[in-house]
Amino acid sequence: MSFWDSLLYDLFPLIWSGMITGCLYALGALGLVMIFKCSKVVNFSHGNVAGLTAFLVYGLSSGMLMSLSWGAAVLVALLGAIAIAFLIYSIISPLVFESDLTSTIATLGFGLIAQGVTLLIFGADIVALDLPIPRFAVSVLGLLVTGYDLTVLAVAVVTIGALFMVIDHTKLGIAFRAISENPFAAEVCGLNLRSVHYFAWITASILGVVGALLIVPTTFLSVTTVATFMLQAFAAAVIGGFASLPGALVGGILVGVLMNLFTFYVSPEYSSTFLLAVILVALNIFPNGILQRVGGSRV
Amino acid sequence: MSDHATHLAPGQVILSRLSGVATSGLTTAILVAVLIVMPVMLGGSWIFTLGLCFANSIGVLAVSLLVRYGGEVSIGHTFFTALGAYSVGVLDTSYGISLWASVPLALLLGVMFGLLFAWPSRNLHGIYLAVTTLALALAVPEMINNFDTLTGGYEGLYVATPFIPGIEMGLQRYYVALFLLVLVCLAVARLRRSRQGMALLLAKTNAAAADAFGTRRVWARLSIMGISGGIGAICGAALAFSGSTVSPGGFTFWQAIFLLVGSVVSFYGLSLTRVLIGGAFVTLVPQLLSASGAWIPVLYGLALLGMILLGHYLPRIREMMSRKSEAA
Repeated sequence: MSFWDSLLYDLFPLIWSGMITGCLYALGALGLVMIFKCSKVVNFSHGNVAGLTAFLVYGLSSGMLMSLSWGAAVLVALLGAIAIAFLIYSIISPLVFESDLTSTIATLGFGLIAQGVTLLIFGADIVALDLPIPRFAVSVLGLLVTGYDLTVLAVAVVTIGALFMVIDHTKLGIAFRAISENPFAAEVCGLNLRSVHYFAWITASILGVVGALLIVPTTFLSVTTVATFMLQAFAAAVIGGFASLPGALVGGILVGVLMNLFTFYVSPEYSSTFLLAVILVALNIFPNGILQRVGGSRV
Repeated sequence: MSDHATHLAPGQVILSRLSGVATSGLTTAILVAVLIVMPVMLGGSWIFTLGLCFANSIGVLAVSLLVRYGGEVSIGHTFFTALGAYSVGVLDTSYGISLWASVPLALLLGVMFGLLFAWPSRNLHGIYLAVTTLALALAVPEMINNFDTLTGGYEGLYVATPFIPGIEMGLQRYYVALFLLVLVCLAVARLRRSRQGMALLLAKTNAAAADAFGTRRVWARLSIMGISGGIGAICGAALAFSGSTVSPGGFTFWQAIFLLVGSVVSFYGLSLTRVLIGGAFVTLVPQLLSASGAWIPVLYGLALLGMILLGHYLPRIREMMSRKSEAA
């Protein structure tokens, strides 16, 4: 009886909250995968830039820099994120076509700069940044569902749905897929690689900002919060195969649930080590991501 | 050395020129001589800083070696430096054993864990390996803090046992690091000229050809990770001895990135001069900017970007210049 009780009262809530955070990891991972799919660059600056924009929202809405309303602050921060993504890609684009590893290292440089700039403007203090969402909690079949959970779920579904709509049904999306499949053939057919790369980088930065704003209320905002959050996104992207958007989604949810179960049942102190183990195991069993195996290989 | 050079493929000749071990023998000797007499001229704090600089240079070399011979980028080398540093720290504080035993142990552990990490990641390349090493770097501080009975947790360990009893400790901290750096550089130069080194380079440049000559890619990966891990551990040992303290703060994720920055700043060089430039950058920038901490990541980032863009545009500019001078 107590086993079933613990199952009902521990396991299901753990899986539920893991899925909610997993959706956010997926948002981060989708951005990484979008950039990687078309430009073959792993954007290590993703977390730090998203963190900087989250701080920007805080600074603009708290009266530190300005006292805008929350919505206006988010809008300005989004524009800032787009500008930063544009700038980063503009600087490294000559490298992108030469060596993917070199341009990947270059993004580490941007990550360092973003972190330093955050420190310079906002300092090393911890701040609280909340979302203007209704606060309520209902119990569904013994599961406590809060307003935050539903907000995250709704935002994630709408964002990811819109992303997949764009990629599946618009001209831009078709160009994106064409370039991911075969950049050379796409260029021969008259597609401009750079403009599609810009699309991917800018979309990724928007996804990063959305993910960062949604994850911050669960903890607090410091220089490293969002960067740490993005590391789970990296794990999610790796598990999904790094080149598959649905894979990133599944990977994100999987990482969210697994991390939750591990920290509750085993130990919260070894979570990074556990993440390393998950990445190594996943890469050995599914070298091309978890969704490749299911579909079988085409010869 | 010259009899090997005749067998080199054109690409490898370029590589040997780039690595600079064979050509700059004299400058290296002069540099070593200058570094040996340096403590006579400098004050105590500078000797200490230079000792750390030598130690960090070894770490930069470990990262560069992996790039040069393995074609892989690691942002997790603090794992190996921590391994080396804590073998020195733990043997010293718990058992009173000096470097005579702890450096070989560090090397052994570094190679062992290099292989241990390389085996599950043997099929990973490029960015996959980079992300995996990232996870490795993140796991280091929490491992250190959780083995606190051995590692002293946050407080760390203090290394006080002299290497050669009777000589002033400050000088020892300087010379041991210098000695280890020169030793490792010599070993890497030897590797470059050995059959094994050639096989590794071939496996990197042309995996199929290396396979045909009996060098399996997995073997190449395992051995280069083992070597790089071993050198990383020696870096850690030198850091522990020269820096006199070992604490988790020295092995954070950022430290791992800084080692990579040092490697990029030295253009992945394997010669003593080059790795010293990388090591000096990693050591001196935080020291000079210690008053304004937030500028350190900005400067590191700018240096990283600057060097990468320089590496990209310099050959082009040079080409343009030579074309212009030809036309004139």
